[in-house]
Amino acid sequence: MEKIHTTCIYCGCGCGLYIHVEDGRVVGASPSPAHPVARGRLCVKGWLVHDFVHHPDRLKVPLIRRGGRQVRASWEDALSLTAKRLKEIKEESGPNAVAVLTSAKGTNEENYLLMKFARAALKTNNVDHVARLCHAPSVAGLSISLGSGSMTNPIKSLARSDAILVTGSNTTGQHPLVAAHILEAQSRGATLIVADPRKTQIATLADIHLKPKLGSDVAWTNGILNLIIERDLADEDFIRERTEGFEALKESVSKYTPEMVERISGISPEDLEKAAIAFAEAPRAAVVYAMGTTQHSNGTDNVLALANLILATGNVGRMGTGINPLRGHQNVQGACDMGALPTVYTGYQKVEDPAAREKMERAWGTDLPSSPGPTAVEMMEAAEEGLIKGIYISGENPMMSYPDREQVKRALESLEFLAVADIFPTETTALADVVFPVASFAEKDGTFTSTERRVQRVRRAVSPPGEARSEWRVAADLMKRLGVDADYSSAEEVMEEIAKVTPPYGGISYQRLGISGLHWPCPDPSHPGTEILHQESFPIGRARFNPVEHQDLELDPEYPFLLTTGRSLFHFHTGTMTRRVHLLNRERPRATVDINPEDAAALGVRRGQKVVVESREHSLEIEADVTEEVPKGTVFIPFHFQEAPVNLLTVHNLDPKSKIPDFKRTCVRIRRADS
Amino acid sequence: MTLNAALFLDHENLVPLIEELGKTLEVVAPVYAEGEPVFATWKGEPLALDADNPLNSPVEFFLPQKEVLFKYVQCSGRYTFQDVPPKSRLILGMRPCDLQAIKVLDEIFGTELPDHPYASKRMSTIIVALNCTSPGERCFCAQMGSGPAAEEGYDLLLTDVGSGYLVESGSPAGMFILRAHSHHFEEALPEHLKEKERLLSLAEEEITNRRPALTPEEIRRAIDETDWGEVEKRCLRCGGCSLVCPVCHCFSVMDRGVPDGERLRCRDSCVMAGFSRMTSGANPRAALGERLRHWYLDKFVYIPEKTGMLGCVGCGRCSSVCLSEIDRWSILREAIE
Ligand code: SF4
Ligand code: SF4
Ligand code: SF4
Repeated sequence: MEKIHTTCIYCGCGCGLYIHVEDGRVVGASPSPAHPVARGRLCVKGWLVHDFVHHPDRLKVPLIRRGGRQVRASWEDALSLTAKRLKEIKEESGPNAVAVLTSAKGTNEENYLLMKFARAALKTNNVDHVARLCHAPSVAGLSISLGSGSMTNPIKSLARSDAILVTGSNTTGQHPLVAAHILEAQSRGATLIVADPRKTQIATLADIHLKPKLGSDVAWTNGILNLIIERDLADEDFIRERTEGFEALKESVSKYTPEMVERISGISPEDLEKAAIAFAEAPRAAVVYAMGTTQHSNGTDNVLALANLILATGNVGRMGTGINPLRGHQNVQGACDMGALPTVYTGYQKVEDPAAREKMERAWGTDLPSSPGPTAVEMMEAAEEGLIKGIYISGENPMMSYPDREQVKRALESLEFLAVADIFPTETTALADVVFPVASFAEKDGTFTSTERRVQRVRRAVSPPGEARSEWRVAADLMKRLGVDADYSSAEEVMEEIAKVTPPYGGISYQRLGISGLHWPCPDPSHPGTEILHQESFPIGRARFNPVEHQDLELDPEYPFLLTTGRSLFHFHTGTMTRRVHLLNRERPRATVDINPEDAAALGVRRGQKVVVESREHSLEIEADVTEEVPKGTVFIPFHFQEAPVNLLTVHNLDPKSKIPDFKRTCVRIRRADS
Repeated sequence: MTLNAALFLDHENLVPLIEELGKTLEVVAPVYAEGEPVFATWKGEPLALDADNPLNSPVEFFLPQKEVLFKYVQCSGRYTFQDVPPKSRLILGMRPCDLQAIKVLDEIFGTELPDHPYASKRMSTIIVALNCTSPGERCFCAQMGSGPAAEEGYDLLLTDVGSGYLVESGSPAGMFILRAHSHHFEEALPEHLKEKERLLSLAEEEITNRRPALTPEEIRRAIDETDWGEVEKRCLRCGGCSLVCPVCHCFSVMDRGVPDGERLRCRDSCVMAGFSRMTSGANPRAALGERLRHWYLDKFVYIPEKTGMLGCVGCGRCSSVCLSEIDRWSILREAIE
């Protein structure tokens, strides 16, 4: 038996673990005691991460659609057909008729090469990935206010905070190892403030639990700011020396009196005051947030409001402070860093900036397109309108994860050509013209960048099943067929190229990563990496306050419930991996809609009964669970289950600033299925 | 049941000895994987015998996290089955706590109707145990009566007495190894034996000083008096406590593959809701707190009733992997104080 140190495939905590290998098969996993985040612990998904690797459902051979059926094909045929079709479409309808969707489950090396494939070979900036659906507002918001869109502090910093505000994050369920650090701070005496309409586990453990109505985040955050400013608890020195725009903020938040906040959010003035004082008086306070903050049609405003809060209290640049967006996928941070976004190359170098473009053109030896592409959800619209005709999708399942499933289906079906690479057949591979079987995390080399900007190694423990290949090879092979030089002999060689063209990754190499990895920015080989951002200054000089205002949500009396979506501790994303893990699927075998007991009584619904959840356009039949976890008027459905695809109900209500869809707020009505 | 007088093995002779044994057996030993000790197949790399007992117990070589019980092949409507033969192994450096865990498992899997996959691995494995002269921070084997000195259950037992290893044999297989490889050994001197006693009683003192002992009655009372609802509130449901425990042995069986495939069994965990939930959806231990309480009762009441031995060997692994930092020993202690 061999034990190979690698990084967990699931969430952005980026836990280090050992994969146990016997006779070329993965037979177990165990936590890594020396890993700085795991410290010898894992969440249940991590303990069981080995179980899906050799599942018989794995895709093992390339498939090509012939006469309506997907049939076995050779790699040569699958690659040539993909290259040929994408090239034809590009020549007939222009480069912007093709697009690439990369994957946050892919390595940095794979994301880099797929991004390069789109830009250098297909000559389009039509490249995006799932971050659009989770943290685009963080990137948009934090870039404006602080100049960098990622977690400002490492995970371990949270254990040293004196007050932590957790909002829109079911941390105990979704980022268990981050939760462990937060609870460690609490047991040391830190005040834990949780703002969540749902009674999640972390909310029940909180010292102060604020239960805001869905969509009132800007109002209560502004309310807290207002109290802090009124009571002279703001950090004047910090505001004077390192920020600008405070006066405008002060002016704008002054109308958010505790009474007004109560009217909008339902949070009592007492609770609001307790939270404001605890946060402002703590020597080191930190904000932690996730999708409950970002997945709104005003997601960017929510992020800006939180950034205002940490700036006004001077909680930046020190251990125990900071604003910390938790990334859902293991490598969503890395996919963004690698420029798998329509507007930027690696390291957030803008495609519209002629100097950046020239630099990449020189590095890649080819000319590059200059206008930014559409975002993932806009791509689906463009596809439906016939503007985008060919897409390459890597390890993503938009049929399950994107809003408005029917529209995604129409969009993908209307394509002239669709190629999908994945480890398991999904609702999306079923629509593909070419399917590439690719290696899982246990079968490939590369790096992931976790939510705390830690770049760490993924190590090949076993060979991929059947003819499956690492996706960086697939990307390189496609590039070669489209006339771009791509002779990489290993993932390590790809990282060498990444380091050359990506300033924050300049000092990163496999030899340096070890088991702890390195935090970017790490500009040169002698740089120790940067755990805490903005210690001396901000990339934009001074940080900026950005006043934001609450927007009322129009309620439709016909559809009186607010549906919010999310995840369960036991599953990950669209469930392609975790639903094939025996024990995890047994813990949570089916989707349910969580309904508050009062609502359930009014509807005459009991636990286990079928109900129909209807939005304006669609409806979904699903089992009811009656629980205090959701407040009255709100219902919750996790999105892991293909039998009950909740995104049938969600709509394309995009945040104008970051183009994220509003997964957290859909107006629905509910009735018993038998009525 | 030491079969002959103890022998002495120079530190330098250990590697040549296991190299010789490795010609016919797969040698499993604690080695460093990226700096941390783990039990893995030894390929000549430096041994991690001085490090703490690895976080993952070598019990996994008898009761793997996941194993193929047999493969099934369908041919014109008839099924044929293929057995998976066990490997011949030597496990070097198994500590007294893990050895005691095997003893409990032998009682559970090996008597009456022996569990074939377990028993066959057990039969084909030689155990070279290692006494604990420098116990780890998390250990409380002495309180559970399973260490720091191994009493029985090994084929060979090593004690590092500073100048080399004192080697004792505990089975005919162990005797055979000593005879067949006698050129590596010397007669042990009385001071080696004395040094062993001295080091192990020091170790025992160190362990008991760290955590005052609890009697079985006190533990029983502590389980009754613990507020399991409070523990439930904090538990982050990682399952680690039961997945890492060398005595825990619940498993789940599943068939993967149609028409051909494999019957697998994998470690299961009674702290998970699905473990006790019935097909109807009813769950006799619906609350997590009840399941955690059950886990303790199993270790300190049910397994002792069944086997006459405690279901906890004091390796401390469950506390060290606990995502909520619940220290087993302290919650029991706090409950009765
Ligand atoms: S917390 Fe996240 S990274 Fe860590 S083991 Fe769990 S799923 Fe994996
Ligand atoms: S219960 Fe804990 S201390 Fe006891 S044997 Fe199991 S893992 Fe070790
Ligand atoms: S190890 Fe701790 S957190 Fe994990 S299931 Fe056991 S008691 Fe709960």
